[in-house]
Amino acid sequence: MSEEFNWLDYVEQEESAPAPARRSGLRRFLPRLPRLPRLPRLPNARRLLRLPRFPGLPSLRRRRVDAAPGQPSAADLLGAQDERPLDALDDRLLQLRERSAADSQPDADEGQPLYDVDDVLMTPVLLQKPGGVISAGALSKAQEQQVELLRNIVGGATQEEGQGGRRLMPGGALFSLGALPRLLLASVVLLAVSLPFVSSDYAEGDLPPSQFPVDAEGAAVYSLLDNLTATDTVLLAFEYGPTAAGELDPLAELVLRHIVARGAVPLIVSSNPIAVARAQNIIRAINRSVAAGGLRLQHGIDYFILRYLPGGSLGIRELSENFADVARVSAKGALTGLAFDSLDDMAAIALIAESAEDLRNWAEQVVPELENTRLLAFTGMAAAPLAQVYADSRDEILGLVAGYRDAFTYAEMLQTDFGAPLAQTGLPTQPEQPELEPASSNAARDRAADQPADGQAQAERAEATVGALIASLQLSSTAPSPTVTPSPTVTPAPTLTPRPTSTAPPTATELPTATATPETILIVEVTSPEQVRIRRGPTRADDILRLARAGDSFEVLGANADGSWYNIALAPGLAGWIAEFLVEERTSTRAAFEAGQASASARPPAERVVLRSVFRFSLGKTTPRYYQVNSLTTGDLRDYVLLRDRTQEIPRLEAMTLGSLAAALAIALGNIFSALSALRRRRREGRA
Amino acid sequence: MDETTLQVYSVLFVMATVVLVYTARFFQKRPGGRRAQRRLDGLERIAGWTTQSIESNRPLHLAIGGSAIGADKTPAALAEAELFHQIIKRADAGDIAPILSTSTPVMIPLGQGTLRRAWHKGDGASRVIWYPQNLSYASAIAASMAGDKPAAHIMAGGFGVELALMLDGADRQGQPSLAVSDRLDGQAVAYALADHVLIGEELFVASGAVSEEGSGHSDAAVLDVWRGLIILGATLLLLLEFSKQLPLLTWQLAAAGAAVLIVLGAVMYRRR
Amino acid sequence: MGRAGISAFVAFAVGLTTLLSLLLGDNPALFGGGPGSEELARRLALPGDVLLRLVVIVLALSIVIGITNLLYVHVGRVARGKLYSAVLLASFAFTIYWYVSRRGDSSLLEAVQVPIESTLASLLFFSLIYGGARVMRRRADIWGLLFVAVVIVVLLGSLPLAELAPLKAWSDWLMAVPVSAGARALLLGIALGTVVAGVRALLGQDRSYRG
Repeated sequence: MSEEFNWLDYVEQEESAPAPARRSGLRRFLPRLPRLPRLPRLPNARRLLRLPRFPGLPSLRRRRVDAAPGQPSAADLLGAQDERPLDALDDRLLQLRERSAADSQPDADEGQPLYDVDDVLMTPVLLQKPGGVISAGALSKAQEQQVELLRNIVGGATQEEGQGGRRLMPGGALFSLGALPRLLLASVVLLAVSLPFVSSDYAEGDLPPSQFPVDAEGAAVYSLLDNLTATDTVLLAFEYGPTAAGELDPLAELVLRHIVARGAVPLIVSSNPIAVARAQNIIRAINRSVAAGGLRLQHGIDYFILRYLPGGSLGIRELSENFADVARVSAKGALTGLAFDSLDDMAAIALIAESAEDLRNWAEQVVPELENTRLLAFTGMAAAPLAQVYADSRDEILGLVAGYRDAFTYAEMLQTDFGAPLAQTGLPTQPEQPELEPASSNAARDRAADQPADGQAQAERAEATVGALIASLQLSSTAPSPTVTPSPTVTPAPTLTPRPTSTAPPTATELPTATATPETILIVEVTSPEQVRIRRGPTRADDILRLARAGDSFEVLGANADGSWYNIALAPGLAGWIAEFLVEERTSTRAAFEAGQASASARPPAERVVLRSVFRFSLGKTTPRYYQVNSLTTGDLRDYVLLRDRTQEIPRLEAMTLGSLAAALAIALGNIFSALSALRRRRREGRA
Repeated sequence: MDETTLQVYSVLFVMATVVLVYTARFFQKRPGGRRAQRRLDGLERIAGWTTQSIESNRPLHLAIGGSAIGADKTPAALAEAELFHQIIKRADAGDIAPILSTSTPVMIPLGQGTLRRAWHKGDGASRVIWYPQNLSYASAIAASMAGDKPAAHIMAGGFGVELALMLDGADRQGQPSLAVSDRLDGQAVAYALADHVLIGEELFVASGAVSEEGSGHSDAAVLDVWRGLIILGATLLLLLEFSKQLPLLTWQLAAAGAAVLIVLGAVMYRRR
Repeated sequence: MGRAGISAFVAFAVGLTTLLSLLLGDNPALFGGGPGSEELARRLALPGDVLLRLVVIVLALSIVIGITNLLYVHVGRVARGKLYSAVLLASFAFTIYWYVSRRGDSSLLEAVQVPIESTLASLLFFSLIYGGARVMRRRADIWGLLFVAVVIVVLLGSLPLAELAPLKAWSDWLMAVPVSAGARALLLGIALGTVVAGVRALLGQDRSYRG
């Protein structure tokens, strides 16, 4: 800055002093209120110790209510007149008014500070001459006041208090020197982030561990999801939008894949409408990746997307208090056929949250209602520190998995536990089966165990497995399910056969058994293009047992009195009812039908059978009434985990490391520079 | 603490607050009963910004962000509406109405109501603008700053980190800003990027500090009482904890120390 | 009683009902746990539940208000010759057309919204770094220095570099003790403010209810 008088500098020094509240704007022209007599003051410790001013912190100094801001401003006084007639304004203000009204076209010299002051007020000519005879000190008090008033009136360009440097008007901002550091900073960070994608020479930092430490929260979360069984249902809350998609999609995808790979059913729910669509897209992406393995997730069988919960935290409250209602309707408004009583029917609740605020909402609205079920939290890195506070606040929140690094560890653990793709290991062999079942003896299980390990037709094996599972569902005691420790090495051992649940329904329904002749049987084939429902009884009010789609065929066991519903066999020992108008009837031989069923069972959606028991206790809570049995034999649910694309994971991690490093350096250097210039400014002000 | 005890305490706490509010109002109405308010640096600028807005014919931008009535943040949203009411009343002498922006549609009627009550020149319906979702809201507001040329931004509401986009935009346009968020991440961004910042419960005393009305002042007094009690309680607990660690320091000593501190504090407060 | 009085009364009545319902409802132990207490607790909880459900419905409908407002504001702006508002209205119409003509197709979300929002998120990253680099410009004092120091320590402490391992312990301590304490203090302050403002609204003294 030159030695000559500068309006900016002049005013700044006045403001930077800890002066009494400034009288801004028109208030300068109002008569000053009589000052109250000063109370004796304690010595000002701040001045004594020469501490800097702390503008960000609340000052403990008190003021009288009728001082500074509470005092009526010019605006208030004028406003009290209701309508201010234009001719009451003096000429300068009128001129200013017209100028600001016609302000839509920025002037060419708008980048200059106080660019339009000259038109309004005759600038003292002497000021423009550097080193002139009359220096800045020649301004009278009244002139100084007017200058400051104008600064306030013109606004924008230079008026901001205590900011130090000049501010530029919009037009000039981009091309001024001010934009340079911004561009420089952006390019450095951008470079740091993109280098790892270009070459592995720029690999920085260690990769995350391939396993969570045993006592870490991540390990607890992983192990809970890993112990899910085919009869479990998991509530999966998607509380994030496209903004956080880059970081949270991998986590969400991992959790989803883990759940379905264990045969459990995810129920997806969200209080964010976009997140519902997000979930659909993730499932679509999963389906694309596993199509090669002959797998496909199907809505209504393998997963459910429930209706969106409006009202933010109130919506989440609604979910926890009226879960039965929420679970009844899908995102598209269709009935799901799910009947749960409370969130405690869930095996776990996994929450993927964008911000700590979302976790807080769940911790406050949902967690207090939980008795047995645990909440697993997944968040982004930025939300993690605060989310951790909420995660630690309640025992019902099992743990927090945060950010891309934890996602990498999770993916590594999945990869290890689920081994190599099925294509390399062959079909699961049956002798392993008994190991995975509770030590209860029942005929069906024995039958399954007795199956020869090889050389059997797929159809027979499917039948046996389904039979075994249904039987174990119906008869297994409340013994805890055996913990499966999947072998980390690539072995042919099937580690994924669903384990029986410990909360099986107490009794089994008496099901009609097929009595058709072995040679020719009557079958129905679904012709409706839509998904159709197979119900427990021959009315639309009956519970849904499972869904079927065009091309699925079933053996007919009978029909109701007026022939409008067929009684069909769903699986050995399980029958359901389907409406006549949805299907086409024909005859077939049993052998042909079973061969067709076997090939159909290779098609993923038909591979899973959904059972639902209707038993409920009349006292208190009811037991879960929804069961799913995985009868998969040809495909392998492991593929849900193993067919995941992981090619970009490592460069991404390295980019994050380099990017954060560049950010930290930028922040450090930028602040050193800022602090130095602030010091210089202060010294200059001190000199002046 | 079991649920029942917690409920009983909650009821007692709410009732005590009601009593305190009425007591504070009673004293506030007595002549000379008005209590000194804390000085809040950011709020002192508002008068200047309002005047500047009036004379340069550029609107003030008041942002509510994600705060909304109908959810757990309802009181915060109402406090923000009250603050904005006071600010709009100050700007009423001008010709251009402030712009009120929100990212929750349910705040639109409240914003329009606030404008209608405080702004007497025509309807304010078109001055309340809404953009959905946090990030698109922040970027839309940041983008419209160049066109609307607000004289200043007063952002008081529920903001997350997306506040950085708005504050950065304001900074680039050379427009001053005051920010406060009832969310922690937004509060941190406000501290780092805004020209002036309010912190925590200052949001709830802001309307009292800006206005002439007594009720705001008495609410601030109630807040101060509660805050003082909490600080006192926390300090006492800390001292008690210390007294367990140190053999010489008994709880009686700690209590005596605390009493001395309280008296000293009160004396200093009176002298100020 | 004028209009303002009526609305204040309604606010008071509804607020008090919900408050009592939430505080006293669904907990028979509060009434001694006797035979009639369960029924009483259930009945007390009912009005609050009903009112809250109504709120959820109203909130769900508020999106209609939002869209109406958006159209109203931007049609007005188009009339004043604002180009971007015209773009907004055109893309609004196009999106509606897209979803109506291709039911259930969310490719617009995947191909347009996700990339755009991700871009915005990364812009936000730059804004934050740039803002972080200029903290000392605004607050050239001890608190600004402290702020920046904590940011850098935590940022570096989170990096998986062996050279920075000692910082990790600092960063963990900072997050666990001072940051956590500060965060709780802030939240406590906000909670207190919420209670006081809530009581004000409950007593019908908030301006929104005073007409």
